[in-house]
Amino acid sequence: MVSASSRELRGGAVARTSLLAVALATLTAAACTASGPRSQRSAHAASPQSRGEIRALEEGEQGFAIVVGKVLTADEHDQVFEPGLVVVRDRSIDYVGPLVEVPSGYERLDAPELFAAPGMIDLHSHVQSGGWGDLNDMVISLNPEFRSSPTLVPGNESVRRACAGGVTTLFGIPGSGTNNGGFGVLYKTRCESTYDGCVLADPGGMKVAQAYNPERGADLGATRAGMAWNLARANEIALAANRDGRDDFALRNLQKVHSKELPLLIHTAGPACHTTIDMWGERYPVRAVLSHGCFNGWRFSPYAAQVGMPMNLGPRTFDWFSSREGQVIGTPQRYEQAGAALISVNTDAPVMPQEELALQGAMGARLGASSYLMLKACTYNPAKSFGIEDKVGSLSPGRHADIVLWRGDPLDPRARVERVWIEGRLEYDRARDGQRF
Amino acid sequence: MLLRTFFSSLLPAALAASALAAPADLLAIRVGRAETVSHGAIEHAVILIEDGRIVTIGADLPVERGIPVIERPEWTVMPGLVLPYSRLGLDGSAGSEFAPDVSPAPEVLPRLSDYRDALELGITTIGLYPPGNGVPGQAIAIRPKGDTLEEMLIKEGAYLKVYFRADARSKKMIKDAWAKVDDYDDKVKKAKEKWTKDQEKSKSSKKPAEGEKKDEEKSDKPAEKASDSGKGAAKSFVPPPPDDKVRPFLRVRDGKLLPLVSISQSADWAHWLDAIGERKFDFALRVVMQRELDLYYVLEEVAKRKCTLVMEPEITYQVATMRQRNLPAEFASAGNRIVLIPRGEELDAHASWRVDVGDLVKNGLERKSALDALTLAGAAVMGLEKDYGSLEKGKVANLLFLDGDPFEPATKVMAVMLDGEFVHGEVRQ
Amino acid sequence: MKASFEGSVMRSAAWLFALAPLLSGGVFAQEGGESQGGGEGEASSSGDEAKDEGDWFAVVGGDVHTGTGAVLRGATVLARGGVIREIGHEVDIPADAKLLDATGLRVYPGLVALNVRGVANRFGSGDYADSFDPYSQNLVLALAAGITTVSEGSVALKLKRREVKGVVMRERFLSTLNYSTSAPRSKGELEQKFDAAAAYLRRYREWEEQKKSNKDLKEPPARGVDPSIRAILENRTLARFNSTSRTDLLGIARLAQKHKFRPVVEGAVEAWTVADELGRAGAYAVVVPRTRRDKSEELVRAGGSSIENAAILHRSGVQVAIQASSTFVDLGGIAGRDILHLPIEAGFAVRGGLPEQAALDGITIVPARILGVDHRVGSLEVGKDCDLILLDGDLLHYQSLVQYTVVDGKLVYEKDKELYYAHIRPRPVAQAADAPQARRDKGEDAASASDSDGDGEGKPEDKPEEKPEEKPEEKPEEKPGDGASDGDSDGRAD
Repeated sequence: MVSASSRELRGGAVARTSLLAVALATLTAAACTASGPRSQRSAHAASPQSRGEIRALEEGEQGFAIVVGKVLTADEHDQVFEPGLVVVRDRSIDYVGPLVEVPSGYERLDAPELFAAPGMIDLHSHVQSGGWGDLNDMVISLNPEFRSSPTLVPGNESVRRACAGGVTTLFGIPGSGTNNGGFGVLYKTRCESTYDGCVLADPGGMKVAQAYNPERGADLGATRAGMAWNLARANEIALAANRDGRDDFALRNLQKVHSKELPLLIHTAGPACHTTIDMWGERYPVRAVLSHGCFNGWRFSPYAAQVGMPMNLGPRTFDWFSSREGQVIGTPQRYEQAGAALISVNTDAPVMPQEELALQGAMGARLGASSYLMLKACTYNPAKSFGIEDKVGSLSPGRHADIVLWRGDPLDPRARVERVWIEGRLEYDRARDGQRF
Repeated sequence: MLLRTFFSSLLPAALAASALAAPADLLAIRVGRAETVSHGAIEHAVILIEDGRIVTIGADLPVERGIPVIERPEWTVMPGLVLPYSRLGLDGSAGSEFAPDVSPAPEVLPRLSDYRDALELGITTIGLYPPGNGVPGQAIAIRPKGDTLEEMLIKEGAYLKVYFRADARSKKMIKDAWAKVDDYDDKVKKAKEKWTKDQEKSKSSKKPAEGEKKDEEKSDKPAEKASDSGKGAAKSFVPPPPDDKVRPFLRVRDGKLLPLVSISQSADWAHWLDAIGERKFDFALRVVMQRELDLYYVLEEVAKRKCTLVMEPEITYQVATMRQRNLPAEFASAGNRIVLIPRGEELDAHASWRVDVGDLVKNGLERKSALDALTLAGAAVMGLEKDYGSLEKGKVANLLFLDGDPFEPATKVMAVMLDGEFVHGEVRQ
Repeated sequence: MKASFEGSVMRSAAWLFALAPLLSGGVFAQEGGESQGGGEGEASSSGDEAKDEGDWFAVVGGDVHTGTGAVLRGATVLARGGVIREIGHEVDIPADAKLLDATGLRVYPGLVALNVRGVANRFGSGDYADSFDPYSQNLVLALAAGITTVSEGSVALKLKRREVKGVVMRERFLSTLNYSTSAPRSKGELEQKFDAAAAYLRRYREWEEQKKSNKDLKEPPARGVDPSIRAILENRTLARFNSTSRTDLLGIARLAQKHKFRPVVEGAVEAWTVADELGRAGAYAVVVPRTRRDKSEELVRAGGSSIENAAILHRSGVQVAIQASSTFVDLGGIAGRDILHLPIEAGFAVRGGLPEQAALDGITIVPARILGVDHRVGSLEVGKDCDLILLDGDLLHYQSLVQYTVVDGKLVYEKDKELYYAHIRPRPVAQAADAPQARRDKGEDAASASDSDGDGEGKPEDKPEEKPEEKPEEKPEEKPGDGASDGDSDGRAD
């Protein structure tokens, strides 16, 4: 697999690019270099690790080096290298930084017209089984014993297209039909893989729904008060079990949420955002991520910022009707303005096609959020929100080699993805596979 | 006078006694303040009334001895309220037709309690319009008192009601109406030509009649019978009579009948202008108030046309927002004349009418416009501004006496005078 | 293509565009003073009427993307009575002209959106001339999205604001035909109709020829000839097909080739698989670049949707119009898919390999051609309607917002003065629309005012360095990079 991709590498973009493209690429690279302050600044900020010398490959190790016009690391230091070098050894990134000597043995790809960015992450996705997956059992309103992982179909069509859209990590979750849909699975969009080959964490986190869907007809939970009580009761039982050191089969994973081993994603929106922040940010301080947050939920953005709850926004990226201000209000912009802690965006795929995660960021930026924040909202921020930033979401030594080569700004719909590596393996190559998106 | 006898027979003796017993029918009323509407407010006002009309009004006027004087220094007087757009006491319904000649008069039931209630609230003049959409007919102006329709009726053909919406049907109705006017004009023109020719023919045979009025044809009153030029007996040209459906629009063209055009959004306005094209005639607008109303787009355009707007005293919202708009105030400050009418058909809405208008005043509507909107502007829509709607010399003595400011919620009606007679309230000399 | 046309006004014959879509440079003639437009068969009808009357309007100092392939930096577009009179650098602006300062902005032709719904009137009735709502929210939002012409139902409409006259530009310009292998009977009937109409037209032409020598010859009877098919064959209307499958599209292409008419294929999901045949038929394709359809299981050959659809069709000579994923104005919160994001949709066609100029054409001149209104709209040319939009950046960039929209030489939308988007990246006050007004007011006489605009000439020379024109393959300056120097995001990242 790796050697195959290496071969592809050699015969990659440069060889296949027409003369014109090369000429243009040179231009682009020049332009990139010319836009000074940023690159200088990022060079200063380069971490010691990334400056380190690149170790020669040992026997049995595979590795490759990518030279691109620009590396958007999206890491905690917001480093940008123009031009930049990314070196991958086996499944991890070994080096990210300015151009340096690469020892022999590494396959080398020169793509000065392209940008390298980390594979994107969507924390709110339902395409694990392809299309609409198993959403909810809809029998009882709390299912903390459920998991989405059995529904996972690795490399399904949605996942393959997502990969071609630069999305490499998904949190595949139950629906919002019940208060607690169960536990989602964090997995990679590897095109052909087994469960073991693509799952990053199972369970990856819990899914809770607090408004705009889980309201049930005649059952308990027809009102928000009922739902709140329902959720609180389960929480109290799980907390008691934790205190007593009991292992409850049905609540085992919920206990892990309360012991902060697992994160939690909450489907909520509008005024219910307040309920959510209050419950999961203050009364049950777990590793909660507020998801959707749409309609006029942005009105509670100062509260979210105060509590420090990460925000996972989408698929709606603006509000018009609920606020009735006459303004097209970009929700990411409002959360950014309020200083919300970690803003990420989602597609709620297949509500929005999974491959259009970057567009969600672009739309946030169009409606007023800063475009760099929106890039982070597709990469580092969701990883950080879920505590997996040491593995995915940025280009940084030691992290998974989930790398996307873009023909331009990753948020720009015009910028197509040329290549995607997931954990060092070339999963998508436009030239080889045909353009999937 | 018919009215006089009618009132004296009806009024409770206690009420009527003082006023009617006065010599020479003169009555003076002295109040703390008079809102004349036409000439601002007069403090310490004296109004002299004779034969149901205001003889004079002024500050601290001396009153001749012998003339009964009603002293109410704590009162404020204003013109009786004029409600030009109403279906009070009517319950007919109709579809969407072109029936410009229809009158609601046959619907009116005199002595309905609705009218008495209205009168007690100070509403002294009411315009009743015919039901239905399309062009449903002409309104009548009534006084809310009387045993018969004749006693109540002030005016037929007060205005022409037109229901207009931005759609092909409405536009066609208007275009067709004017096309019929054109057809009629053609017909008159041809008849005139023929008549002239015939005259010349007969001139050659007989002696021509002299002193013919050339402008007869412009007469509003159609001839009773078609001119028969063949007989040669006609001394002057008599135009062929217009069709009942054409006649109202001829009156509109000649400025004798005001169309009151109902619209509910800016698009209606735009298409109304498109439908009438280059034709020049006066019209007023009836604005159907909705929670969200986009008419703020056409404030200036409407002002340019000098249209009076008939609307309810409602705060509306800018479309798709929670932004409040005081459109009556906006229209008024853009230079439009506004008429404000009760917010609903029920008695409560009539009872709170003044106060509802007061709310708009508190939200930016000029007091002057607000007073006008309750009285004189409504009279003007019905073509009654010469006789009604303000406290001026020579106008009908329809008076509303209050114990305070007309726009204050606590203010009560103390008395109502209709055609110079107290019809409500306890008045002691 | 990149040549500068400074100091000259471009003109192009509309027919030439229709024949040679790839010749995007068009044909430019030297400015001909008063004679502009007069010599051209397809001169704007409204131009003829309003030629020497009406208000003057000038958009001054913008980078004018004419839509004909030319970009004039710091140029002026001058219009009178709603019709473009001049485009260039040395334009004398009459003293009474209304000015719009376009300094630092890009000027593009107004966009043309096909098959929209709920823009031209609120109630969705088909009666557009009489119920067009020139104040509706959707209309203003469409103008805010840069759209100045739409087709709704079977009507091509100019999105006028505050006016209802002349909004219907063309009616019943397309004849919708059903041609599907899933309905073999109607497919066969349609083929027969074409054969019958074609045979009739042959007889008719023969008769016309023979009539010259033999006047008594009777005109061949037209009985049984479908008038709409005849109109298609006589090139009076376009035939529209809504077809997604490869087989149907192939059949349409062959039918069109056989009878020499230009089909408009909408849907066209699998058109990329038969692009050559459609190209040979001179077809127009209306595509939604992001349409997704998986390949049919039974299909042995290539099929299903492809992001490259527009690009492949374009390369094969098919004229590609781009339609948004959703035909409505969508205020529900989902951004990027409705008609308010037409350039975003065009961006996805570029992603699939469509050159940027072709993508621009796909939302301007090509749909204008399909609607048969390309003599009036779809590009900025002398004699055409002055419908233009001003943006703060590249039209296809996701952060560019329309700052001003002009329809028929009138300012109908100004971002910073409408609630909708005013709060997003407001422009510095000095650059707002009042600026030129103020400047003109200060100028004591008209000559000095127009001179001062003329002085702006210096700018074009400074400009090109600052803003190199993007080549199709090249991306604009990356905005995320900008954010790297964004202190705010730094602090929060940890």
